[in-house]
Amino acid sequence: MPETIKYSEEELVQLLQSGDQSAFEYLYDHYSGALNTVILKLISDQQLAEDILQEAFVKIWNNFSTYESSKGRLFTWMLNITRNLTIDTIRSKSFKKQAKIQKTENAVTYTSSNINENDKFDALGIRKQTMLLKEDQKRVIDLAYFEGLTQEEISKKLDIPLGTVKTRMRTAISVLKKILQA
Amino acid sequence: MTKEEFILSGLLELYAMGISSPEETQIVQEHLDRFPELKQELKETEIALENYALSNSTQPAPSVKEKLFNQLFSGDEKNPLNMAPVVSMTKKSFVPLFYKSIAAAVFILLIGSMVLNYSYFNKYHKAQDALDLAQQQLQQKEKSNAAMTHDLSVVTNKYAMPVVLNGTPHAPDALAKIFWMKNTGQVYIDPSNLPKVPSGMQYQLWGIVDGKPVSGGMIETSKGIYHIQKMKSFGKVDAFAITLEKAGGSPTPTMDQMIVSAKM
Repeated sequence: MPETIKYSEEELVQLLQSGDQSAFEYLYDHYSGALNTVILKLISDQQLAEDILQEAFVKIWNNFSTYESSKGRLFTWMLNITRNLTIDTIRSKSFKKQAKIQKTENAVTYTSSNINENDKFDALGIRKQTMLLKEDQKRVIDLAYFEGLTQEEISKKLDIPLGTVKTRMRTAISVLKKILQA
Repeated sequence: MTKEEFILSGLLELYAMGISSPEETQIVQEHLDRFPELKQELKETEIALENYALSNSTQPAPSVKEKLFNQLFSGDEKNPLNMAPVVSMTKKSFVPLFYKSIAAAVFILLIGSMVLNYSYFNKYHKAQDALDLAQQQLQQKEKSNAAMTHDLSVVTNKYAMPVVLNGTPHAPDALAKIFWMKNTGQVYIDPSNLPKVPSGMQYQLWGIVDGKPVSGGMIETSKGIYHIQKMKSFGKVDAFAITLEKAGGSPTPTMDQMIVSAKM
């Protein structure tokens, strides 16, 4: 049954506001993979990433009443919650201690886990189409959207001028928009 | 910022990616309120990014979902602490598994159909409202179309003789047009350029026949809008005039309230 139901954004929001559990299950099935990617971009510890993902969805469910659809889409809101939670965890003291110990061990698991990123979207062809993004455009989008870096931070990190960051970002987003229109 | 300056600033993209500073966020929200059409632009940007994120999904282990749903939704019915003392193990196994799964399937179908019902019911209501609105609009359009067709048929009648009534010194800007049908003597008046009537007053048309004023009827306004309307017929007339009278009209014209007139 859950696979056959597809909600529009408004229906989903309405059902979640009324505390509908099957809508929440749909939300999880549909978006957990994307949010998981965001966490894994910032954290290499698989176990910790799973805990953060679980906590993020607990927050999404418990704080759903604070979501305002006039300010943006549901996914943007969920992504911000997840990203902030991950960044907060990284900044916490206990994480810093642990990270030192696990650093070497996890560097290996991280890369290997990313190779079998899911192929779920190949059916829609979108995954293939996002290949239209050039590698340097993708990098800027990933740093901003997934890792939450500001344009200035990206400019420093990649050692390229701020203007270049801005142009790359705009071009990349307009490419992504065109993919949808095609 | 104007709308164009705002779009060029690139703030909307930063906002869609969730990396705008608090000040920038405030600016974006102000502009979204000011130019509602920007919401569509924002939505498209968000969907584009969302699809990028979805296409980069990394499926988490299935155990995460299990733990999450246990944490959030156990306790209402599945809590073993509540169930153990009430239902004994032997009683529980009394119901064959086959029936249990049928009951579960029926229950799932019921819930599923309730969800669908709810969503279709909402859709039905939205569609009904939209239909009502469309029908109302259609009726209004038909009404105004009929009025317009009528107006036009008077103006284009080949027997219609247009007579322009010019403003008197009381109302130099006022103007009215009469269409006098030469074959039937019917008189139509187009009062759309007369000044607004004070409340409790009404315009009255007069025809001067053999030097005497004869009432041509009252000019009606509906909701403040003037339409071409039929007045009393005149076979022969020396002049037309319109005066401002108290509502309902007067037997003789109040000459110092003459607004427009025309000699034939």
